[in-house]
Amino acid sequence: DEILRSLAGPPSPPGQDPHGWRVPVDCVRANELCAAEPSCSSRYRTLRQCLAGRDRNTMLANKECQAALEVLQESPLYDCRCKRGMKKELQCLQIYWSIHLGLTEGEEFYEASPYEPVTSRLSDIFRLASIFSGMEPATTSKSNHCLDAAKACNLNDNCKRLRSGYISTCSREISATEPCSRRKCHKALRQFFDRVPSEYTYRLLFCSCKDQACAERRRQTIVPSCSYEDKEKPNCLDLRSTCRTDHLCRSRLADFHANCQASFQSLTSCPGDNYQACLGSYAGLIGFDMTPNYVDASTTSITISPWCSCKGSGNMEEECEKFLRDFTENPCLRNAIQAFGNGTDVNMSPKNPSPPVTPPPKTEKSPALPDDINDSNTMYDTSVITTCTSVQEQGPKLNKSKEQSLCYSETQLTTDIMPDQKTFVDQKAGGSRHWAGRILPVVPTLLLRLAL
Amino acid sequence: SRRKRARARHKPCALKELEVSISELGLGYESDETVLFRYCSGTCEAAIRSYDLSLKSMRSRRRIKKEKVRARPCCRPLAYDDDVSFLDAYNRYYTVNELSAKECGCV
Repeated sequence: DEILRSLAGPPSPPGQDPHGWRVPVDCVRANELCAAEPSCSSRYRTLRQCLAGRDRNTMLANKECQAALEVLQESPLYDCRCKRGMKKELQCLQIYWSIHLGLTEGEEFYEASPYEPVTSRLSDIFRLASIFSGMEPATTSKSNHCLDAAKACNLNDNCKRLRSGYISTCSREISATEPCSRRKCHKALRQFFDRVPSEYTYRLLFCSCKDQACAERRRQTIVPSCSYEDKEKPNCLDLRSTCRTDHLCRSRLADFHANCQASFQSLTSCPGDNYQACLGSYAGLIGFDMTPNYVDASTTSITISPWCSCKGSGNMEEECEKFLRDFTENPCLRNAIQAFGNGTDVNMSPKNPSPPVTPPPKTEKSPALPDDINDSNTMYDTSVITTCTSVQEQGPKLNKSKEQSLCYSETQLTTDIMPDQKTFVDQKAGGSRHWAGRILPVVPTLLLRLAL
Repeated sequence: SRRKRARARHKPCALKELEVSISELGLGYESDETVLFRYCSGTCEAAIRSYDLSLKSMRSRRRIKKEKVRARPCCRPLAYDDDVSFLDAYNRYYTVNELSAKECGCV
């Protein structure tokens, strides 16, 4: 994270985002502020009691409840927001909805997102990805981008661990009747998408494909047999109601609607022409009741849908279709996925009317490459890398120069024409010093050396 | 420089890594997915103990004749990496454990 942040630009002063806007207080913090103030905290307690187990209308019929709500609209709790993947995210969302459920009609088609607006752009991810991989994919014409994405993930310890985590959980059979634990699978998927940087997760999820094998691999990314498909397809509005009973699912859905809602005012059909925000809230739905996925392995047309249909909608058919179309026929979502697959982002200049057209700004390789070889993919091109984990683990005892003498790359060692081989001379001495402390009395070694 | 080269080849036991495809592992899986294979490599001369010297001596004095014994330490994994999961050519997921070394030592 530290590295990503330092690469992403100079740190911004606390309390301000890079554009100089005031960042809203998160709801956990707002709750603390409110708790410190007797009048606010008593009103907030009243409101929570009002909301518990009552619908909005009964609640607002109560004068005390209404008064509490009015007062709280002046408090920091009123416009607090939450961050995706933040510490205490659920607590934050509970606080958010405890106020906002009272303010909205409750059954609105689109709800406001409790999450902070995303200000980063896709090009930021491309820039990072190119630093990490040296723009590795697309080198051959027959390349499978989804396979490249799996490789990039497998070569990163964190991505590999969490990917294997959800794959093994989602493909573990419980019994003959129960192919997997959907609950555990969803949890593992959420961990993967929350904790792995998006340059890895988006590459797996939104890779562009020219053949069916690739598109099928893309469809399989979330292990749909466990996380997506079900014996029956529920009605989409029923599924939405289920989702809305859960604070996290409700919030992620509201966020998806806020960031991926097709807009006819922008070039890209996306709100604020922000593809990154749309892809982020799409990925944020994975691991909940509303988990979306590719419906087939088609390479030409991308169709996304949650696992639901509009059968049995009765007089709500129109609303159901409208809800489903935000997934299946959403030009913003489709453009965003295609733009990511092609490695393009929006150029905001009005001279390019047909998006997505502009290649990402070409950035030079940053000189400040990460130092930690265990966690970076800067070594993509060297097929053999020697690490020195066991030595580094004893780290504090060794000073820096000794450490270096014990860590060398395979290319250095196997290339005989390497002009500077000084490191190898010291290496044995350093090595035995290290092992000596751990293993053996020195005398037998000397005896052995003499014997040889 | 010949001496230097010989020393370079006899480097002490350490963890190394290789990018390999799942198919190359020879475990019977068919997949083009690439994984990082970490293995232990190097010599253990510095880890020879009195045990090894004595065992060698017993063998040369023919006090130990028939049994198979090993009178030198081996560079082997002390711990294994987390599970590795992958999608095979038939779109089935598999998980393999203890595939890759995490820490090496002379044992």
